[in-house]
Amino acid sequence: MSGYPRVLFKNRRPGETLFLDDYLAAGGYAGLRKALKTMTPAEVTATVKAAGLRGRGGAGFVTGLKWSFFPADQPGEKYLVCNGDEMEPGTYKDRQLLLADPHQLIEGMLIAAYALQAPVGYIFLRYAYEDCARNVERALGEARRAGFLGTNILGSGFSCELHLHRSAGRYILGEETALLNGLEGRRPNPRSKPPFPAQKGLFGKPTTVNNVETLANVPHIIVHGADWYQGLALTEKGAGTKLFGLSGHLNHTPCVELPLGVPLGEIISDHGGGVWQGRNFKACLPGGASTPFLTRAHWDLPMDFDTLAAAHSRLGTACVTVFDEGTCMVAATLNLNRFFQRESCGWCTPCRDGLAMVSWLLEKIESGRGTPDDIPMLQDQLRNISGRSFCALAEGAMGPVEALLRLFMDEVEDHVKKGRCPFN
Amino acid sequence: MSQILPQEQIDAWKERVTGHAHPMELVVDVLRAIQAHHGWVPDAGVELAAEILGTTPLRVEEIATFYDKIYRRPVGRRVIHVCDSICCWSRGAEEVVGFLRERLGIGFGETSADGCFTLLPSCCLGACGEAPAMMIGLTTHGNLTPARILAILAAESGEAAP
Amino acid sequence: MPKLTIDNQSVEVPDGTNVLEAAKRLGIVIPHFCYHEALGAVGACRLCAMKFEDGPVKGIQMACMVTAQEGMVVSTLDAATVEFRAHVIEWLMMNHPHDCPVCDEGGECQLQDMTVAGGHTLRRYRGLKRTYPNQQLGPFIEHEMNRCIQCYRCARTYQDYCGGEDFGVLGTNQRVYFGRFRDGRLESPFSGNLVDVCPTGVFTDKAFRFKSRYWDLEEAPSVCPHCGLGCATIPGGRYRELQRVRAGSNRQTNGFFICDRGRFGYGHAAHAARPRVPLVDGQEVDWTQALAAARARLDKIIAAHGPRSVALLGSSRAGLEANAQLRSLARLLGTDRVVFAAHAPRDWTARTLAAGLGAQASSLDDVRRSDCLLLIGADPLAEAPLLALAVRQAVRGGARAAIIDPRPVALPCATAHLPLAPWRLGQALAALGDNDWSRFEGQEAVFLEGVHEALAGARHPIVIGGADLLGPAGMRQLLELARRLSREDRPCGAMGVLSGPNSYGAALLAGDGPDFEELSNAMITGEVRALICLESDPLTQAADPAHAGLALARLDLLVALDSLPTKTLGHAQIILPTTVTAEGAGCFVNNEGRMQTFMRVLAPGLPLRETGGGGHPPRLFMADTPGAAPRPAWEILAGLQGRAASLAELRDALAREDVRFAGLTALAAESEGQRVADAGLALPATRVEDYVPRDGELALLVCEALFGSEETAFYSAPLDPVRPEPRLILHERDAGRLGVTPGEQVRLHSAVEEVVLPVEIRADSAPGVAILPRVRGSLVEAFVPGVGPQPCRINREVDHA
Repeated sequence: MSGYPRVLFKNRRPGETLFLDDYLAAGGYAGLRKALKTMTPAEVTATVKAAGLRGRGGAGFVTGLKWSFFPADQPGEKYLVCNGDEMEPGTYKDRQLLLADPHQLIEGMLIAAYALQAPVGYIFLRYAYEDCARNVERALGEARRAGFLGTNILGSGFSCELHLHRSAGRYILGEETALLNGLEGRRPNPRSKPPFPAQKGLFGKPTTVNNVETLANVPHIIVHGADWYQGLALTEKGAGTKLFGLSGHLNHTPCVELPLGVPLGEIISDHGGGVWQGRNFKACLPGGASTPFLTRAHWDLPMDFDTLAAAHSRLGTACVTVFDEGTCMVAATLNLNRFFQRESCGWCTPCRDGLAMVSWLLEKIESGRGTPDDIPMLQDQLRNISGRSFCALAEGAMGPVEALLRLFMDEVEDHVKKGRCPFN
Repeated sequence: MSQILPQEQIDAWKERVTGHAHPMELVVDVLRAIQAHHGWVPDAGVELAAEILGTTPLRVEEIATFYDKIYRRPVGRRVIHVCDSICCWSRGAEEVVGFLRERLGIGFGETSADGCFTLLPSCCLGACGEAPAMMIGLTTHGNLTPARILAILAAESGEAAP
Repeated sequence: MPKLTIDNQSVEVPDGTNVLEAAKRLGIVIPHFCYHEALGAVGACRLCAMKFEDGPVKGIQMACMVTAQEGMVVSTLDAATVEFRAHVIEWLMMNHPHDCPVCDEGGECQLQDMTVAGGHTLRRYRGLKRTYPNQQLGPFIEHEMNRCIQCYRCARTYQDYCGGEDFGVLGTNQRVYFGRFRDGRLESPFSGNLVDVCPTGVFTDKAFRFKSRYWDLEEAPSVCPHCGLGCATIPGGRYRELQRVRAGSNRQTNGFFICDRGRFGYGHAAHAARPRVPLVDGQEVDWTQALAAARARLDKIIAAHGPRSVALLGSSRAGLEANAQLRSLARLLGTDRVVFAAHAPRDWTARTLAAGLGAQASSLDDVRRSDCLLLIGADPLAEAPLLALAVRQAVRGGARAAIIDPRPVALPCATAHLPLAPWRLGQALAALGDNDWSRFEGQEAVFLEGVHEALAGARHPIVIGGADLLGPAGMRQLLELARRLSREDRPCGAMGVLSGPNSYGAALLAGDGPDFEELSNAMITGEVRALICLESDPLTQAADPAHAGLALARLDLLVALDSLPTKTLGHAQIILPTTVTAEGAGCFVNNEGRMQTFMRVLAPGLPLRETGGGGHPPRLFMADTPGAAPRPAWEILAGLQGRAASLAELRDALAREDVRFAGLTALAAESEGQRVADAGLALPATRVEDYVPRDGELALLVCEALFGSEETAFYSAPLDPVRPEPRLILHERDAGRLGVTPGEQVRLHSAVEEVVLPVEIRADSAPGVAILPRVRGSLVEAFVPGVGPQPCRINREVDHA
């Protein structure tokens, strides 16, 4: 394969999970030791901030900046929550991480909890990740017995307890405030912001929510430093490596760790083994179901946050779903929209009912019953749902719809003109 | 399985709730425990959870009906969740569903005549690299082909024999 | 006070006002569903979008979620915003059944209004509509979920505002459902508010179902007559029938909500046995004959026995003007024997409160804003339900609330409860005032000390006492406690819970006059030969109904003015039918001394009904309206004085002669009302010694209940399904001693009567006290609250047999 450095996957062996002894042998918990023994909490935050680590859960917010808003000095209850509700179609990288190396997350969380001075943390895992949950449960037990978890960790005076929470389905829990409601045993509707979780989060106390992969990066940043981390990326502004989960019409669909900034084409041809069945590349979702499609025109685009934003898309979770030339983009968009429609929490109107309207229109067009009026109607739905919903779910749903109408309008019109799906 | 939850488990949950600052934090866990034991959560299960948590059945029902992996209606001994999201769709999820429907003689939301399998659609299972995929119980099966599906169904129905 | 510009008009609003409210001040009403002043902003419906063109916030935002800030420039007319709002309506209407013709909400449906206002005129969605099954929610509320637009107002009202735990939000995505765990009566006593808050026809008034269209209803602002709080209501009538009541809004009293007793208590107006025509010796007469007969018989008695042989009895059920006319009539007749309440202890307690409340008077709004509340001898859900909601709002805002009461008082919020025997409530008040816990032991002392500390440290403390359990002496102590807890920089408020809508007004008129006990003694001795009874039923309302019965039996003449078919009417030679609250106009003075007017909603008359068996159409034709004879009591009493005065004239006269009511003439309906001027009364010096049981004895405490015990609501058919069965509440320790189990029948021996009834066993009531909630029209009818603890004996019925 490539000569890129492996950081998060450096301990990954096919079909195996690394537990404590092997993790320690591979240098595990050195980051925690270094943080607790030689750094103040503020120094940890500053290092993570300087490293330029951006959230790996989809939104890409600068992690160190998020931590710097947290009232770490405020006494009393505070929480760190790890968001392991990975549920956006196409996204399966956190699962790979937890199947390979659960201690990496625990170490990352402990360092983060130290930086935030949060004595309690939660690992929130989705229902379908029972295999990961068992790994985490075992790793937590090992860490507790080894003194990495609990009171007075490594004699530092810092104490932290981590709890595992198993959820019961629903994509909306990936939204951080919905996740907090879910953890509290309330209906998992998102909360209005402000107040932000850093002020009023879990049980009304200051809380930071970070993604699994984000937290797994932290030990490496502490051990090797901010400059090293920044140097990992291929783009000037980027920092670190990224887990790319490949799926769709490829010959190979692995989850691979690559530097941020690797060109899309390289990912598809080198790591995905090219489009399957000898077909041509048509489009892809660059980072999950909510990210607008990229096409052949983006083949050489470096895969990083800013570069994708400039291409009217988003890096999202960097899990790339590829569509070959035989894919009907109306049908693909309908599938994506139905997902968002079904996973709407039902709180706000544009999401709850607007997405249903979009599905109805797309279904009508795809099934050959579309009329010329349906296209402007689809456009006005897009215009009025985008940016107007309570949380980002409906906004995400509009990503593919927007890209469909921008990039594949001729295909949509063809459906209406022919009165059938041209791909059937 | 007539019992919703064994008494010792009820007692253990009640003990955890006692002195818990936020008992409702446990609501999903209690519902999952009931489901794990009873197969699904009947009305009496919601009432039991409410009793354990010191709240009203309605408060539990508000949560139970939100999550799609809490079954509030009877299901077979094994629940098959077939992923219908984009990656599996792109790699033959519709064919998988068709095969399962035909094989089991049931549609979505239905239970096979022998009471063994209930078929439900599911959003992405996080097995996108192994699409198409389905989850039975808590186990995810990827790279589905008709032959593999037959083998999985055979193994599951063997294990789940009443 | 930020100043902002909305649609080129500038407006200055208080800090913290949201932009939706700011626009309302300019008369710009933007459609909205989820926002409600009492429930706050949650940003769910997304309808109140406005374009923020300049200032600290930019772009299209939900106005309810944005706090008004200096320099904001906002447009509600921006094209993209208008388009968006139309889309929201279109989305909301996707699944709506469009069943307006058969929907009771039609005409007063916000969804109809907003659909038109939002510009959604063409239905583009042609897909399937999602449908739901409905639930049976009990006798008050009809459920039709298909009409739902998921604004979440119902759940936020029921759970968040009212504290109900049996109704909420189920399901997710486009299948969100608002209902119960399973079919059944909504448990909250505030369930009827769902009808008012639902912007469409999901929750409609079951008792009003298919009766009238909103635009056909006669409505007017009114005041609820079912307790002493004076909540604003809007009754609606049609076809001579009072058909429903909805909540009015008064930010000082009820805010926006009312209780189910107030909402469904209106049925008394249409009670089949209601007095409808003037009767003299059982003969129907016209008003001229009736008034002449009454006056002639009174004059004859006065001629024979002197003016003091005539007594007059007013009531807290009658308005201020009627009671004042009763006083004028007494003066005209030359008698000083005029009393304004049939229940002497309640009368004295109300007089004590009216005399001593002064500047400490607190409104329900003060309670909602308080940070520390003490309720002593008060059971809000039974005696003044909206007070329970006010306490809940305070607690939601972080207030601490403590309850000292022998009853298992439960509020829909977190409170601390000390179950103390009724005869010890005075000691507790004294202890709290003196900061001396020597008469209390252990946990009790700790509790009281904690209450004292909390009250002393609070910014807006209020002490609330119930008239029935405290009595005059306790009420006096409560007021004294409030004074002692007050500091110059921080007053401590006080509130008394009184039973009738005009108890306070009646007490002001009573001054230092006699009480009903004195009156009934004079009847028994024969000094009093004639009684004029104004909307009062001493046979069920007096502290000692049996004694009142003896007294009434001795009279030569009983003239009864009433709108209810009371027992007392059975003793009257002359019956003068009066209008109910909604049929007349007048003023009630609520428990904080707030005068509030109610307007006439409809004229009295026999409700029009379809009848079977050939009774319709009517075969008799007449010029008069059947059942239209009842008149406002003030008009009848003025007539007895030979005067024909308008209400305005009577008010003017009252305001002139009695400075406390000076505000009466300027009082507007639908206003917040106005407190009476300083009472200028001396605190009555009354000392009632409570019965204190010896060790091992039980004391009987009769108390009010939410349903089945309030006088006017008792006659309301819509409340029949919720009338409770009589039961006796025992503390578990006493039950154990007696060997009774829950639900078991016991025989209660008391001075009132011997009755057999089932027991309810509680751990959170005061030991040594057997609590009997009043149920009118039942086997415990003879038991009247507000008389302090009484001796009693209880046996298991199996032993008796």
